[in-house]
Amino acid sequence: MTMKGRFAALLVPALIAAGCASFPDRETIRAEAEDAIAHAYPGMPSALTARASQDGSQKLCSRPPQDKLTAEEAMQIVENARASIKYPASGKLVGDWKIGAQLVTNGAGLRVRDGRVEKTRENGALCINCHALDPKEVNAGNLGPSLIGYGVKRGTSDAVVKHTYEKIYNAWLYFPCSNMPRLGASGYLTPEQITHLVAYLVDPQSPVNRN
Amino acid sequence: MRARNVALALMLIASPLGAQRDVDGLSVGRQMLAEDNPGELWVQRGERLFYEKRGPKGASLERCDLGLGPGKLEGAFAQLPRYFADTNTVQDLESRLLTCMVELQGVKREEIVANRFGTLDKDSDMEALVSFVASKSNGMKMNVPLAHPKEREVYKVGEYLFYRRSGPLDFSCATCHSDEAKRIRLQDLPNMTDPKQVQAVVSTGWPAYRGTQASVRTMQHRLYDCNWQMRLPDLGYASEMSIALTSYLNHRGNGGVIQLPGVRR
Repeated sequence: MTMKGRFAALLVPALIAAGCASFPDRETIRAEAEDAIAHAYPGMPSALTARASQDGSQKLCSRPPQDKLTAEEAMQIVENARASIKYPASGKLVGDWKIGAQLVTNGAGLRVRDGRVEKTRENGALCINCHALDPKEVNAGNLGPSLIGYGVKRGTSDAVVKHTYEKIYNAWLYFPCSNMPRLGASGYLTPEQITHLVAYLVDPQSPVNRN
Repeated sequence: MRARNVALALMLIASPLGAQRDVDGLSVGRQMLAEDNPGELWVQRGERLFYEKRGPKGASLERCDLGLGPGKLEGAFAQLPRYFADTNTVQDLESRLLTCMVELQGVKREEIVANRFGTLDKDSDMEALVSFVASKSNGMKMNVPLAHPKEREVYKVGEYLFYRRSGPLDFSCATCHSDEAKRIRLQDLPNMTDPKQVQAVVSTGWPAYRGTQASVRTMQHRLYDCNWQMRLPDLGYASEMSIALTSYLNHRGNGGVIQLPGVRR
């Protein structure tokens, strides 16, 4: 028997075994998994279990990496994001960088223990969990890109300010399915809080822009 | 013998993750802890609890079948989660011990669940039992089966859940655990899409003695804590979701050499 033939002989039983050991189809898995979610939080109030249900964009962003978005799906996410954005009543997109400085290091907000939501004065903006901002801050994560010098590099034009505000409000507007939470769109941060974060990023006096 | 186990544990903790990361102050601290792993105390207590006659039925857990036959503990952790015909479900170590304590000892399920995570005031029997049973697979390789159709289904459900984004912060497991050398603040995040790292986590990761909590914590606790950070409600103990995720991770950790309990931050 040739090498090739021998491999083929070995392959046939392997393929039969693989055929028997097939996985259920995608729809069965989806239904089972959603049922598992529905039963994952016994005894929790419905206001909290509702957090585990998905909006349309979350559904589209829940695929394994090899299962890419189509152009239409990406457009749908961008449209949803565009429709979600609200601006502060004042119309002013740049707030106070000093208030922003307090928010960026605050990682608390909305966590649940024993069925109760943690008590906080306001939700923190979580920024340094994932981004380097102040070059003197050691305790910064790296899941997101470094934003050190953000304002120095981009300036403080109206276009930069608007882009920055919108990016924080709903990151999926510019990058569908980005790891970054849609902080304004979900109601986690208020429009006013976001203006302070914009200031922290672009103000020349902010630690982000001073070396 | 003890010294050799400790040395092996050290190598295992240091090699798979350490090879790809700079040695930092925190990892030195973890190695020092591993040299005298306090988790040993949980193993010893778990052994005593396992063979003690307890509960309303006054029975030990010696008849508990963890997949390899009643009372057979060597290698049991290595093949969990798996399908069990008597419950007609796929179970992880914790849900299976729960079944045994309820069925064999007559302990109330709610009682066990209420005491699933130990506090400073009260130790958890479950954390001790898990430490003991897991340690009985030390030196063996993870070998979680996908032979039964339910095992394959639960595995795929786990994969689906790993990538499923939800909650006010749009998180999935993959948000934090699918890229190389990432951190939340200074906390290293294992990349669970990398075969070597998932092996290290499931074979030397949980149960682990956690320095910050002064207790052994289990895989169920790890998932519960991730859920908390994701701003989701308290994850149900031994819920189908928790078992599916464990099945997905543990199967993909097959081949990893077990050394448990681990030592973690």
